[in-house]
Amino acid sequence: MKQLQMLYFTGYLTILVSGKMPERFFQKCTMQGIPIWNVVKKGEETCLGTIKKQHLSYIKELQAQTNYTIEIVQQRGLPFLWKRLLQRKPLFIAMIITVMFIFILSNIIWKVEMNGFPKDLEEKITKALKNQGVHPGAWMFRIDTPSSIQQKLLNDVPELLWVGVERKGTSFHLEGVEKLIVKEEDSLEPQDLIAEKTGVIEKMFISKGVPKVAIHDYVTKGKLLVSGNLSDSNENENEKDDKDKKDILVPAQGEIIAKTWYKVNVTIPLKGNYEQLTGKQKQKYYLEWSKLNLPIWNLKSPKYEEMDVEKVEHPVYFLKWKLPFSITEHIYSEKKKHTLNRNKEEAIQIGKEQAEKELQIQLGPKAKILSEKILHEIMEHDKVILTLYISVEEDIAQARSITQKSKEKE
Amino acid sequence: MKKVQQRFRRLLVDYFSLPSDTVLELPRITMLGDVHVYVENHKGIAVFTDKQLRLKITNGFVQINGSSFKLKMMLPEEVLLEGNISDIKFIPHE
Repeated sequence: MKQLQMLYFTGYLTILVSGKMPERFFQKCTMQGIPIWNVVKKGEETCLGTIKKQHLSYIKELQAQTNYTIEIVQQRGLPFLWKRLLQRKPLFIAMIITVMFIFILSNIIWKVEMNGFPKDLEEKITKALKNQGVHPGAWMFRIDTPSSIQQKLLNDVPELLWVGVERKGTSFHLEGVEKLIVKEEDSLEPQDLIAEKTGVIEKMFISKGVPKVAIHDYVTKGKLLVSGNLSDSNENENEKDDKDKKDILVPAQGEIIAKTWYKVNVTIPLKGNYEQLTGKQKQKYYLEWSKLNLPIWNLKSPKYEEMDVEKVEHPVYFLKWKLPFSITEHIYSEKKKHTLNRNKEEAIQIGKEQAEKELQIQLGPKAKILSEKILHEIMEHDKVILTLYISVEEDIAQARSITQKSKEKE
Repeated sequence: MKKVQQRFRRLLVDYFSLPSDTVLELPRITMLGDVHVYVENHKGIAVFTDKQLRLKITNGFVQINGSSFKLKMMLPEEVLLEGNISDIKFIPHE
């Protein structure tokens, strides 16, 4: 019986044998090793039997040697179904086209939805997205991943504080927060200004409060610069009213520009290697199936001596399902290696610039670097170690609320 | 000569306890009630109608009578018959 399993997949057919003693014909077949089943005698000289599809040609051969005639009554199984489907070519072609259509359509962006943006910003975002190739009707696998779109969008549209890009099937959902420029409100709490750093005061601009120091004063960290208590200054002039008067407290405001000093250590190597991208790029596209890579576009590998390869995967969808293969883009970027040799003077110059730059970043754009001096320099293991002394002009005012100060006093 | 062969085979069965159906070339007939007959080791179909099945065996025929016969399976030396079986007869060669 084992021989008769999986019949549906291989296909089987019922034949009608007619002739004298038709069962003898079946006997002949079984002697050749052809299994036959469901044999029924229909009449005196006709007999029905079922055989496997693969044996049909063999049986026809046998029939040619004898006086029996064979008629195929019924065909069953997948191969026959398939054959019938193939015979109906229009239907078959239509089915293929349908599948292709669904495949193509599920890899196209249909909608870009935005939530929570004002109209003008929405327009800007739409424009920025269009520059990236994200618009209704665009191919899914030609665009970047949502996270990189997000990054680019944040760069392109400065009004955005945050944006979330999400892919849902064939549509993109954008959600974001607009950057609202809120005017810094005057802090209502009364405050003093104290020195944030030790330095010599160069300039003072006070909009509110009573100055407690003068230009060219040397102040240490934490010293009171501008008092928010207006009654402090009036003390001498209106001594009479002193008793009735309560402290008039205001939030002191202003800029105290002072000269400050920093000691900076920098180490500069005399020799170094670095890589630089030349800007030449080539893309290759692969159809990737688990570990198999099938090149489909740009078959030639670029002939760069040195290059970086970046792989970007574009998943392919059928309806909502991710297909096991994906289109992978390989970006080859040419690069050049440079070796660096500098002498001591150059290294020192670079070290100075580097130290200045670092300090500027640390202090913010308002600070102004006045001068730098080399306190100490050593050459060691092909490196120059510098200790620099840099003087800077910067705002050293720091707010401190008066209530806090009074608490401290208590 | 054939008789000597038969005797030798019977000896094999008796003294070496080999399975008798293959050695003696006899048909093994299995029945399931009166609906199925399973015949192994036959030598070919002689007659098949919906009322009768006659199979060749080594020395004669097996004849199965009944009604609405259908061969559920035909393999070399094997046959599975389905139907209403009334009797089975052994007909030796004349």
